[in-house]
This record gives sequence, structure tokens and C-alpha cells, in this order.
Amino acid sequence: MTAVLQILFDALSLGSIYALGALGIAAIFGVMRLVNFAHGDFIAFCVFAMLWPSIDAAAIVFAGRLPFYLLIPLLLSVGAALSMLSEVIVFRRFRNANPATMMIASFALGFVIRHLLLMLYSSRPKSITLWPNLGLPVEFFGAHIPMLQVVTIIITLAVLAVLVLFLKHTRYGLEMRAAADNFTMARMLGVRANGVILLAFAISGMLAAAIGLILATNSGTADIGMGANVMLIAFIATVIGGLGSVPGAVAAGFLIGAASVVFQATRPHDARVFRDAFVYGAVIVVLLARPQGLFAPKSAKQRV
Amino acid sequence: MRILKLLGILAGATALLLTPARAANEIVVGFATAASGFMQAYDKPAQDAALIRIDEINKAGGLLGKKIKAVFADTKTDQAEGAKAGLAVLDQGADLVIVSCDYDFGAPAALQAQAAGKVSFFLCAESIKAGIPGVGPFSFSASVLAAVQGATMAEWAYNKKEARNFYRLLDSWTVYNKGICDGFDWMLPRLKDAKLAGSDTFKNDDASIASQITRIKSLPKEPDAIMLCTMMPGAVSAIKQIRAAGIKSMILNGSGVDGSYWLNAVPDLSNFYVPVQGSVYGDDPNPKVNEFNKKYKDVTGGDPSSQYVYPGYVLIDVWAKAVERSKTTEAAGVVAELEKMNNEATLFGPRTFTQGIHHQNQGRYLIVDTEAGKPKVIDQWTISEKIPVDYLVSK
Amino acid sequence: MSKPPSVIRQTVVTPIVLIAVLLAMAALTYAFGSRAFNRTAIEMFINIMVVVGLYAFVGNSGLLSFGHISFMCLGAYMTAWLAIPPVMKSITLKGLPVWLLHTQLPMWVATPISGVFAALFALIVGRIIMRLSGIAASIATFGLLGVVNNVYSNWDSVTGGQGSIVGIPPTMNVWIGWLGAAVAIVTAYLYSISRSGLALRATRDEAIAASASGVDIVRERLIAFVVSAFIIGLAGALYAHFLSIVNPGSFYLRTTFVSLSMLVVGGMYSLSGAVSGVVVMSVLIELFRNLEKGVSVGGLPIGLPNGVQEIAIGIITIIILIYLPTGLTRNREFSWRGWPLQRRLASPVQTALKEMN
Repeated sequence: MTAVLQILFDALSLGSIYALGALGIAAIFGVMRLVNFAHGDFIAFCVFAMLWPSIDAAAIVFAGRLPFYLLIPLLLSVGAALSMLSEVIVFRRFRNANPATMMIASFALGFVIRHLLLMLYSSRPKSITLWPNLGLPVEFFGAHIPMLQVVTIIITLAVLAVLVLFLKHTRYGLEMRAAADNFTMARMLGVRANGVILLAFAISGMLAAAIGLILATNSGTADIGMGANVMLIAFIATVIGGLGSVPGAVAAGFLIGAASVVFQATRPHDARVFRDAFVYGAVIVVLLARPQGLFAPKSAKQRV
Repeated sequence: MRILKLLGILAGATALLLTPARAANEIVVGFATAASGFMQAYDKPAQDAALIRIDEINKAGGLLGKKIKAVFADTKTDQAEGAKAGLAVLDQGADLVIVSCDYDFGAPAALQAQAAGKVSFFLCAESIKAGIPGVGPFSFSASVLAAVQGATMAEWAYNKKEARNFYRLLDSWTVYNKGICDGFDWMLPRLKDAKLAGSDTFKNDDASIASQITRIKSLPKEPDAIMLCTMMPGAVSAIKQIRAAGIKSMILNGSGVDGSYWLNAVPDLSNFYVPVQGSVYGDDPNPKVNEFNKKYKDVTGGDPSSQYVYPGYVLIDVWAKAVERSKTTEAAGVVAELEKMNNEATLFGPRTFTQGIHHQNQGRYLIVDTEAGKPKVIDQWTISEKIPVDYLVSK
Repeated sequence: MSKPPSVIRQTVVTPIVLIAVLLAMAALTYAFGSRAFNRTAIEMFINIMVVVGLYAFVGNSGLLSFGHISFMCLGAYMTAWLAIPPVMKSITLKGLPVWLLHTQLPMWVATPISGVFAALFALIVGRIIMRLSGIAASIATFGLLGVVNNVYSNWDSVTGGQGSIVGIPPTMNVWIGWLGAAVAIVTAYLYSISRSGLALRATRDEAIAASASGVDIVRERLIAFVVSAFIIGLAGALYAHFLSIVNPGSFYLRTTFVSLSMLVVGGMYSLSGAVSGVVVMSVLIELFRNLEKGVSVGGLPIGLPNGVQEIAIGIITIIILIYLPTGLTRNREFSWRGWPLQRRLASPVQTALKEMN
């Protein structure tokens, strides 16, 4: 019993990070049909925003020293600002371009940000100490889970709940859903396009900052490639979950985390290095079974 | 299209840089290393140390009566560009081509040097391939094999800390990590009564190693020592998670986690052991090493960040000695002298090269113990027998 | 009444122009370029092969594929298995079958075999994946890339794992590079003017109507997948001979996105787009690299700071895409006004009913 519970907690642990990442990607994807390949680099940028630029091995933490009630809002606003800035400067020009162009533009943006960080900070990972007490485990029925993961899960579910309520019950949420459904029609009906898109980007940016904070607290380092792994899985989770379905993306993130943990826990030793191959294989199988995503309505299935 | 052709010719013209004429009273050493891209953070420190040694030699009268001149070409952490960087320094008359700290990124330039009949030296590559098997008979590495680190920690913990139950945790991200664990695997059967309590793998960029930790915790008895075969940046996260889960075993590592710059992330880290070729913490038993650290700080403006600075110094040291003894910079002569070196003393441990291996499969390591977040040299160890070349190459 | 001229006679200008221009570049490089510059040119030709192979699939089917670089990996490693001298193979790659350990084939034989190997693999995998459409297909190809990369990085006894394997004879030069590019262009061209290519383009522009007209979408996509895999497999083989060292990391995300960028910047739906995208980007990259190396003015090196090249290329990509969202060639093909009966290959149709995917 404890073993199963432990696997469950481990799965929730890993899945919550992926789910939060998927939320960030799904927010923009839902409105603009754009996969933001720069999201991973936004995450890294937010983490490095806490450090003073230097290529020395030791980090010079300046903003990271602030108390948490200042640090968190500061980083969230940095994330939102970066995201909105990239919308205004880059993505706005691609409103009517085809999806491939937008994807490549977002990749180029991420490329620029990553190499800028590389030039300013060098590739050596820098250590940051943030709330080390959160690493200590909490026990439930003999199985333990680090406090930080509990916090992550709670944050993910809370953000999801807030987002869903926002989308369903507020005017802005309604406008966002309308824009996601049929952009041109929504504009004709009076939805302020730019406002809605900026809002989506701001939300995505704040989520990037949140993941950055969580990853930094979990690993204790700031590294240029930080967000890359999460971004990849988040991208896959968004599609598997169902295009544009925010709860679907979150559920898919948890699912992929669970699959990864289960493979790691149950495969024999020599097969464990191939864990990623199994996960990607599972992704392909899911797509073959339900190409429109696990949680999208049946009507979304393509006709051909 | 014509404009594109013109652009192509223009780019070609700018590529034909004016190669400076090589003075007759100079020996040219070419650095085909990374000045940008992610290898830069690892190449630059060792390169700076090498330049310090070159400076020392020049001040003492030069090599064979000539001054050593260093030339540079940026590999940009790209394999194809690395080959071009090798060609670039060779075109400037390099007699020695020094290449990146990592076999994958240093090999393209080293292969060019080998094809041109020149000696190549890896700044600090720790794979067995960085030498004869992976490049050719004129190629060497200035550091010590990763496998030696794993074997050293296992033997030292067995003998000095009475460790009998070992757990092997491998980060499958790079060949270096696998090398550490290969050395560990080789040593463990040679230690009487030592047992492998279990084994697991993870990947450096895993957001969470919860299931790997669960496996350790579900062992009937906490292992005496965990052999952690990993490197930056994921090492910090793994170590953090292991300690946070309440696992108090000794953690044995490779040299890749040396350095105090990351210790803030795991407050009060204890029972943590790292093998190093020299101490960056100012407490090396050899006072000359502490002097070198000071000189490094004067030249570059910062303390050495990790022990990977030192192989750069050793590189120039042994090569210059070989050149002096063979009275030539021709590859055949220099290689012959290098291969005669047996326990040649250097500032950072003895170096041995033979016809069979141009790397170190045995080495003197200082053991650094971290207690309450403070690292300190407590011991030194050399493994009792050399790791066989066949074993290493077949892995 | 005379027969209308065949498709070939109308459109063959495009590949001829492309191949001729590349030939001129190769000749100039060989005559005047330094050794390092020749290597840059060979790299460009290999990139042209990869991007043309990508075009053969992406341009004709309209599906974005993230997985094609896995075919480059397959081709490169197959060449490594075939071309490395048996002495070196037996030590490091013990898991290979004995007959493979004892063979050593020259480049002319190993390269086509590698291409065919990649194509066979695409045939098997494609049967499964090609049933998907739109973004689901793209993610599935992404999964393919992940699987191949993971397997090749960890199957140590057969692929050498993450460490690079060396020993492939460095027999590449600019002329062979040009030949490879020419073969890729001709193959992609012949495919796109074939009946299958036309049918596939119909599904790209209007999937439902095409299906209703009797086009078997899965079959046509599969053919494109296999043809593109063959071309990219050849590119991988030549790449192995070029670097003489192969490593799974070079066939993963960075290469995938760089090739896709070159394709989109050039013009996703045209063959000329594929080639010009690579040429323009390669020239720009080389220009910035030389600016970084700097010029010695009176003993003082003046140049851009290191690391600026990548940032500049990223910014330029974005700028090009802002002003030319359909790419540099705007999805048209190169032609020569003097050619009689010339007609351009059809560019994609903007339909009134766009499938939202």
C-alpha cells in the first residue's frame, strides 16, 4: 500500500511541474494557435532575473535576496512583462501568418534570449538558495513527499481553478474563449483583439515565472537550459490533452509525469535508460487512438 | 541569385584572413577551444592556467631558446566549427594543438591535427577516447580518466571509512558520468566483502528524482555509501533531493562536482566526498599549489572555480618538458619523450604516459570532505592498480 | 493540334538553375577558398540536402515534421557501421552482428545503402504515423525524434551511446557535396512533379475535396515520407564522412529547428525556397562568424564580441519572417524568362474554408 502511495506521490510530484508548464503553453495556444517555443527560455530568463549578470562561477544574487512577499510578485511581473513585450515586438506581426512561420519565429526568439543569457551569464550553472526548508519531506501514511512538491501541486490546482473560473464566468474570459473559437468573428462582435491576446501572454508569462521559481527552488541552481525539458513535455501535453483545452493540458501533464515515474519504478534496471523512449512511444500511441487529444470533445475530431 | 553569389564571394574573401608570417624564433601553440557557446565556461579556466604556464616558461628564457606564442581559434561549441578551428591554428603554424575539455567537442580539431602530423592535447577531457583510441597516436589528454575517480572513491571509502554497502546512482546524460561508474564497477569486485546494495539511473535534467530516491529508501538498510556518477548542473538538484529525503549515507562523487560555488544551494551539506587533483580551497598540502591559486587570481581576477583549472597547467608543463628532452617540436620526437614519462612529477600529481595509453589510468587524488557546507582536504589516495586499458576501451 | 508540352519541359528550369548556381559556388570555393572555407561550403551543401529532403515532405503535404532529423541520424550511423575499419569497430561496437563488424565499404556504396536504410525505416514507421493529421502528426514526428535519439544515446554496444564514434574515412570534398545536393534536388523535383506529388499537394490545399476525389491521403503521405527520408538519410551519410565522427546529440533538437528555420525562411512550399533559405542563412552565419573573428588593424583585433553571431542570426530570422512571412521566395520557384513554354510549379491555394487545426 505504501509503495503504491509513494509511486502516486512521486507521480504527482513530477506531474505537477509538467502540468504547470502545460498551462503556460495552453494559455497562448488556446487564443492564438501559436506554440510558443520560447517558453522554456522565458522560464530561464525569469530565474536569471534574480541574479546580477556576471560570468563568474559564483552567483551574485541581488533580487533573490528579497523577502518572499516582494520576490514573488516581482518575478511574476518580470515574466508577464517579458511575455507581453515579446507579443508586442514579435508575435503581433505574425497574427495572420501560417502556423509554421509563427513557430519558427517563436523558436528564433527563444534562441536569441538563450544566447543573450549565455553571453551575460556563461553556461556554468549558478547556485541560488531559495527557501531551503521547502525541500523537507512531509509524511502521509508512510509515504513521503517533499513539501515543495505539495506546494507545487496546490499551486497548479489553484491556478487551474482560477483560470477555469476566469474563463467561464468573467467577461474577459468570455472574450478569450470567443477569440480562441473564431478570432475574426469575435473581433467583429467587439472583442478587443489586442487586449485579449496581451492578457493571454501576460498569464503565460506569469506561469513561466512561477515554474522558474519552482525549478530554482527544487534544484538550487540557475542554468541556461532550465526550462527546456519542461517546455518539451508541456508542448506534448498540450496537444495530447486536447487542443486549446486548458484542463486537458493540465491533466495530460500529470499523466505524462505519472507515466515517466511508473516506467522508472517498474522497468528492470537495464531498460530504465530507455524510459524516455517508452514515454514518447506512449505519446504516439495516445495520438493514434485519439488524435484530437484525450479531453477534447468528439466534435473536434478532424474529418479527414 | 546573382546577389547571393556575390555575397558568397564576399564571405569567402573575408574568410581568407591574412595569416601572419611565423617568426623563426617562435614556437606556436594553437588553442582550438570554445570562446563562446556552453563549453566556454569549462575551457576558459583551463586555458587561462595553460597561458600562465606559457608565461612562466617565456619569462624563464623560453623553450629551446625560443618564445612560445599562443594563437586562438573559436570552436563555438560546434563540432563542424571545431574542425575549422583546428585547421585555422594549424595554418598559423601551430606545433601543438590544444583542444576542448570534452572529447566530443575537442575531437574534430584533434583529428585535423593528427591528420597534419601534429601533437594534439585535450585540455581536460576525461574519457578514454581522448587519446589514441579516439583520435590517433599523436593525441594526449592532460587530465585523469573519469574511471579513476570512481575507483578511487570506492577504494578509499572501503579502506578509510569501512564502507561495505554501496549504492550506484548513475546519471545517464554523458559519457563522463558513465566513465565514473565504469571505474566504480571495476573496483567493487576487488574489494572483499563489499556489496552492491542496488543500482539506478536518472537523467541530469529530470525535474524530480523522487522515484529513484524511493528505491533507495525502500532498501532494508540504508547503504553506507552512494556512488553518485553525475555532473553539473543536475548534480545539485539530485544531491539536494537525496539529503532532503533524509538519506544520510556517504555521498561519493567524481571530480565534476568540485567547487564551492554551488554549495549554497544545499545548506549544511555533510558526509560528502569529492576527489580532486589539487585543492582550490587554499589548503592543498603542497604550498606551491596555493601559490598557483594566488597567481591565477592575480591574472584572471578570480579564484579558480574548480579543480578543472589545473590540467591546463599540467598540459603545458609536460609538453614543454618533452620538447626540451627531445630537442625538437616534431611530433615523433615529442611523443617518444612523452611516452617515456613514468610518474613524472607535476604540480598536481604524477603523470605517466605509455605507448598503450596517453591518459592517466591511475592517479593521486586528494579527497575533499564537505562538512556543514565547508569543503576541506582530509586525505589523499592512489588506487592500488591501474585500470586496464582493454576494460576501459570496451565500455 | 499539337500536344501541350509535358510538365517536365515546363518546369525543369528550376532544378537546372539551382544546380547550376550551386556548381558555380562549388567551383569558386574550390579555386579560391581556404581549407576552412571549403569545409563551410561542404556543410552548406549537406544542409541543402537536409532542407530539400524536409521540403519534399513538408512542402508537399503541408504537415510540419519535427522528426526528420532522426533519418539523418539513422543514415549517419549506418554509414559509420559500414565504413569504419573493422579493427576499430570490434573494440567499441561489440553489439554489432559479426558480418557487419567485418565489412568495410567505400563511400560510394555505403551512402546509398544508408539512404535506403533510412527510407525502409520511414516506410515502417510511416505506416503508423501518417494516419494522423495536422498538429497531431507533428507531435507524433516529434515523438519519433525523441525515441530515436533516446535509443541511439543509450544502446551503447551498438551505437557507442552518447559518446561519439570515430573512424569514418574523411573522404568528403566540395564536389561530392555538390553532387549530393544535386541528387537531392533532382529527387525532390522528380517527386514533386510526379502524380503522387500532385495528389499530395491537393491534400495540402483542400484535404476533404482531395479525399472525395479519390486521393488516398495516407498512401501519398507515406510516399513523401519515404522519399524525404531517403534524401535525408543520404545527407546523414555524407555528414558522417565530412566530420568523420558521429554523435547522437548532433541529430536532435538544435539541428531540427535550424533546418526548419532555413526551410521556412526560404519558403516552405517551394524547392527554390528550400535551397535559397539554406544559402542565405549560411552566408549570413559565415559573415557574422568572420565579423566575430575580427580583423587585425595595426595589431589590435577589432571584432564583434563572441556570441553575437547567434543572437544576430536569430534577430535576422525574425525580421525576414516579419516582412516576408511566406519566405524569401514567396513560395514561387526560380525560372528563367528566356525559357520557352515556362510555367511555374503551382504555389499553395488560399482557400475560403480553412480547416482549423
